[in-house]
Amino acid sequence: MIEVIELTVNGDRHRIGVPSHYTLLETLRYVLGYTGSKQGCDKGDCGSCTVLVDGVPTLSCILPVQEAVGHEVTTVEGLAGPDGPHALQDAFDICGAAQCGFCTPGVLIAAASLLRQTESPSRQEIKTALSGNLCRCTGYTKIYEAVELAARAAREGRKPSELVQR
Amino acid sequence: MKLEDLRDKQKERAASDEELRQALEREFQVIGRRLRRTDGLSKSTGRTVYTDDIVLPGMLHGKILRSPHPHAHIKSIDASRALALDGVHAVITGSDMPVPYGILPWTRDEHALCVDKVRYVGDGVAAVAAVDEETANRALELIEVEYEAVRHYLDPKEALADPETPIHEPHKPGENGNVSKRVHLEFGDVDRLMEGSEVVVESEYYFEGTTHTAIEPHCAIGYYDASGKLTVWSATQVPHYLHRELARVLDLDVARVRVIQPAVGGAFGGKSEPFDLEFCVAKLSMATGRPVKILYTREEVFYAHRGRHPMLMRYRTGADRSGRIKAVDASTVMDGGAYSSFGLVTTYYSGQLVTMPYAMESYRFDSTRVYTNKPCCGPKRGHGSVQPRFAIEVQLDRLAEALGVDPIELRRINSLGSDTRSVNEFRVTSNGFLECLEAVEAASDWTNKYRRLPYGRGVGVAGSCYISGTNYPIYPNEMPQSAVQLQVDRSGRVTVFCGASEIGQGSDSALAYIVAEELGVPLDYIRVLSADTDLTPVDLGAYSSRETFMCGNACIAAARQIKEQVRQAVGEAWGCRSKQVALAGGWAFDVRDTGQRLPISEAFNLAEARFGTLGAVGCYNTPKDIHGDYRGGTIGSSPAYSFTAHVVELAVDPETGFVEVEKIWIAHDCGRALNPILVEGQMEGSAYMGFAEAILEEHIFKESGLHNAPSLLDYKIPTSLDTPEMESLIVESLDPEGPYGAKEAGEGPLHPSIPAIANAIYDAVGVRPDRLPFSPPRVWTAIQARRVREEAGELVLWKREPRETALPVTGD
Amino acid sequence: MLRLHPYRYHRPRELAGALELLKVHAGNVMPIAGGTDLMPNMKHRLFTPGHLVSLKGVEGLYGIEERDGEIWIGACESLTSVASAPLVKRYYPSLAFAASTIANPMIRNQGTIGGNLCLDTRCTYYNQTHFWRQALGFCLKRDGDVCHVVKGGTRCVAAHSADTPPVLITLGASADLASTEGTRTIGVEEFFTADGVWNTARKPHEVVTRVRLPKPPAGLRTSYQKLRERKSVDFPILSVALAVAMADTDTVASISLVVSGLGAKPRTIGQLDDIAAGRQLDAGIIEAVAEQAYRQCHPLANIIVDSDWRRAMVRVYVRRAFRDIQSKSEAAA
Repeated sequence: MIEVIELTVNGDRHRIGVPSHYTLLETLRYVLGYTGSKQGCDKGDCGSCTVLVDGVPTLSCILPVQEAVGHEVTTVEGLAGPDGPHALQDAFDICGAAQCGFCTPGVLIAAASLLRQTESPSRQEIKTALSGNLCRCTGYTKIYEAVELAARAAREGRKPSELVQR
Repeated sequence: MKLEDLRDKQKERAASDEELRQALEREFQVIGRRLRRTDGLSKSTGRTVYTDDIVLPGMLHGKILRSPHPHAHIKSIDASRALALDGVHAVITGSDMPVPYGILPWTRDEHALCVDKVRYVGDGVAAVAAVDEETANRALELIEVEYEAVRHYLDPKEALADPETPIHEPHKPGENGNVSKRVHLEFGDVDRLMEGSEVVVESEYYFEGTTHTAIEPHCAIGYYDASGKLTVWSATQVPHYLHRELARVLDLDVARVRVIQPAVGGAFGGKSEPFDLEFCVAKLSMATGRPVKILYTREEVFYAHRGRHPMLMRYRTGADRSGRIKAVDASTVMDGGAYSSFGLVTTYYSGQLVTMPYAMESYRFDSTRVYTNKPCCGPKRGHGSVQPRFAIEVQLDRLAEALGVDPIELRRINSLGSDTRSVNEFRVTSNGFLECLEAVEAASDWTNKYRRLPYGRGVGVAGSCYISGTNYPIYPNEMPQSAVQLQVDRSGRVTVFCGASEIGQGSDSALAYIVAEELGVPLDYIRVLSADTDLTPVDLGAYSSRETFMCGNACIAAARQIKEQVRQAVGEAWGCRSKQVALAGGWAFDVRDTGQRLPISEAFNLAEARFGTLGAVGCYNTPKDIHGDYRGGTIGSSPAYSFTAHVVELAVDPETGFVEVEKIWIAHDCGRALNPILVEGQMEGSAYMGFAEAILEEHIFKESGLHNAPSLLDYKIPTSLDTPEMESLIVESLDPEGPYGAKEAGEGPLHPSIPAIANAIYDAVGVRPDRLPFSPPRVWTAIQARRVREEAGELVLWKREPRETALPVTGD
Repeated sequence: MLRLHPYRYHRPRELAGALELLKVHAGNVMPIAGGTDLMPNMKHRLFTPGHLVSLKGVEGLYGIEERDGEIWIGACESLTSVASAPLVKRYYPSLAFAASTIANPMIRNQGTIGGNLCLDTRCTYYNQTHFWRQALGFCLKRDGDVCHVVKGGTRCVAAHSADTPPVLITLGASADLASTEGTRTIGVEEFFTADGVWNTARKPHEVVTRVRLPKPPAGLRTSYQKLRERKSVDFPILSVALAVAMADTDTVASISLVVSGLGAKPRTIGQLDDIAAGRQLDAGIIEAVAEQAYRQCHPLANIIVDSDWRRAMVRVYVRRAFRDIQSKSEAAA
């Protein structure tokens, strides 16, 4: 059965028809074309599909799409603004925190939520916040460094690139 | 806008006078710096396009029907009900693609879909194309397959003992069809030297299978267009081999087949040969005239597998009183799963790749790969050598213990050194192993920790060596292993075309750094277009840690031709010798007077005016006279070897058996770090992956042949909270053959993780868990067993005084 | 990607409407809240209802508040809320802690306390795809009639694997259930039955609306200990919830100990007051309690972990729970 719903993604309101049994991830990727959010495990085990729903990190692959109706959905594509990439996105690039890049969108969403709550997260707080996002490339070290760099940049009101010596 | 205006924009971005003067002082401008990747921002902003992100007009969706039996004959397949389902466009079966395939031309024992027999639970039997994935799923349920189940083998020992129901037809009548490959090689007189050894240690080791678990599941799209040209987009790490095999299996002219590799979400060896979905999307597209996509479920990724072989290894190691290795005798049974894959090579690697970094007087190995009715094993990061490395390095720890020598010192005593040959005759040039040992020894404060930490805490060391690419390609030929084509625009933009496969390791970035270094253009003037068989010259792919080494060399060769043309043209314009002209920081400038300079695009324009359109090709082929002079002596031979040492510090909870790996110091000789960030990323990712195999991961099966845990919930890859802290210590030995001296960094640093952890567990609690993974039940059981023997007076109290023995025994 | 079966999704605003839908579509409907358990299970075709009734939009199912001398937690409160709510942290630190250990941060954001109470039991032969289970020949929990854990067994031994119920039992909590027939309150301990197929007293058309906790007696000391392979994501393979009521600073009044993650029902360890009541909480008592728990727990091979080790860990984790409350009271002093 096709259901007509209104979905707000990255500030844009979409009126779309979706099969009523679709998840938010299926809708984002296959109906709306927001392919930034990834599918890695099928069922909520890996975190690659993480998006913000009203600012809360949420596994879109196990969220019925109807539960996103009436809420603000933010995907990795929505983190960057007209002024350029989000500090985290730039810091990930600077620190080499994205290798294959497949888990990166989910990791970034979880990290963005952490930085909204905490100005100076400890290493342990970062680990805990990212403990639902499996990364297979980096061993996580460069990811922590990137989150710490972005946090420092935000605290100092500067760009991450201004804080690193090359 | 006038041409001059365009140049002004470039001048703003180019290096200042001061920066140019500094540039003259430095050997490199780009190489060795902590730069961004070429694809980093695209990935972090979610813009990178992976295969499943591609939607083509009119695209159909395919699914593959898989066998529920581990071993059965296919009696019949009836797809009529599936074909009758609304929305179904085609059903194909094995008989539609009867040509067998295999990544190695000598062992083609697979079919795109099974023809007459299934060999593991999950083997592909039929495939469907339909309007959407859900319709395709429903169609699968309507395909009727009649099977006749036969005896299945999960244990290689049983498969070896009972040739009555062979999984494959024997190579020759009378042979056991369950034997996939056997290799027996001996260097020196092992028996005599073992006999003469003053200390001999012997043990049996078991390495449980593990799998790659890239986060991106395999995905492929096929489109057979109206003109009869086939294009396949696939998450592969070997587009060139896929290109050839598609043409062969589908009986197409290879010149009318195109393979495009979009961004790949991790591979680790798990995407390094053709898979059923790639043939199926192609064939289904040929059947329907429409693009067809197949995306594996996570469960299917576990069935596709090609992961680490389980190995049962018996090792004897003999040494003299000073600790010099006199003889190593290894005997290994490998569980290959249902097909060959790279198994022939794996069987050689299990013996050939572990002779270094040590000098040994004699060496013998006997490896047998056995077919079983399980998903096929193949190459996982550190192909073939991670398992025996575990055995070799724990043997050395046992030897050090027996001799009362510090295990780092024992490794120093036996270090092979540079510019020499290994016992199995491989040429070794640069070798930074001693520096690696020194680095981890100092950084970890080893001497104050080894055997000195309290009970339950320990440190362990291990070393290793790995290849920078294989000396010989997978199919015999004399052509280059890697090639690059450069195209230079009047704007200063340079495009690098190369068949190299970017899978997250950073090969695209390495190519860009090299061109930026040679031609002096800003990094973002460089476009890398890789892995598209219609556009890029051949590179053999991302396996055996060959990309940076080989396509890097090819890229240097191409870039230097253009560099010479540019310097000559500019020199002529300035009336100076071309040697006086340098290219750096966005300028062509006079090394004697940096004030004399031109924006790089203008320099390119001078060269184009002088020589015609600027472009160049470069290639790399391996030296062919550096291997062992015996049958099999080419396998494991590499133009350069990397070296690694790890020290691990950990805590064992004796009450539960949990091993908490707290820190891994990783020293790796990568020759030269083209970008230290990328090298560290490979070192940390490798060490993490080894740690995971040591502590958590098991690719195991139930008696019925069903995979035990085909999901990311049940197959335990580490979360951020499980992963230890890691410290990367880069060692640069400057290899004479590598690009700027570089060697590999993507696989070598994995090897010592597992034995270093094993040795640290021994240091912590005095038990040697010789079976992987070191899961809490195994470690706990070993601790309990040691306690019993300690209490019986058979063993000394490990790192405890007699009065401290009141630690409770927690079991029955 | 694993796809879901077709269903209709209802999102009522009122509880009455939700209950009506559950009645109207009886036999072909399930309630859903966070969906973190149900959605993966539906992807595995363990449940294929034609209708889902979402409780997330029902306003009356939220709130963490003090009412009538109890603390009430609305069933749709997320596990993140339960883990961080000041009232929960103040009165029931072991509950807050247990909630904070569930799965991963996103699942805690999505999953609810009501859903955690109703979490389906788990087994290595059950939590698999339809293809896998079909290849196995199914099992008596779903689609089949044999047990693969206990050969020849006729009762499902899938494990209760939720983190908060053992703690709720030690705290004397109860749950409110509602249906079109009315509401009822049931103790969390009585809420669970020893049948792995359906291990709760909740009828299919009922929903859990609220968890109620009595105010803890002064000096109640609590702990939750969870055994799992990884430090995140994983379900408990053994869990121990402990609440010790003290008669005075040193003397035990009573001990409530619940061990779970092993069988279909959280196991309340019996006969502990005989051992401990009126005595000082010393090493001897702790060992005796640990021994009692060990004797009463017999894990089966319903997960891929060595059963003997899992059983031995019962003793260790009970000891650790006591160690935990002792170190906390020392810290408090």
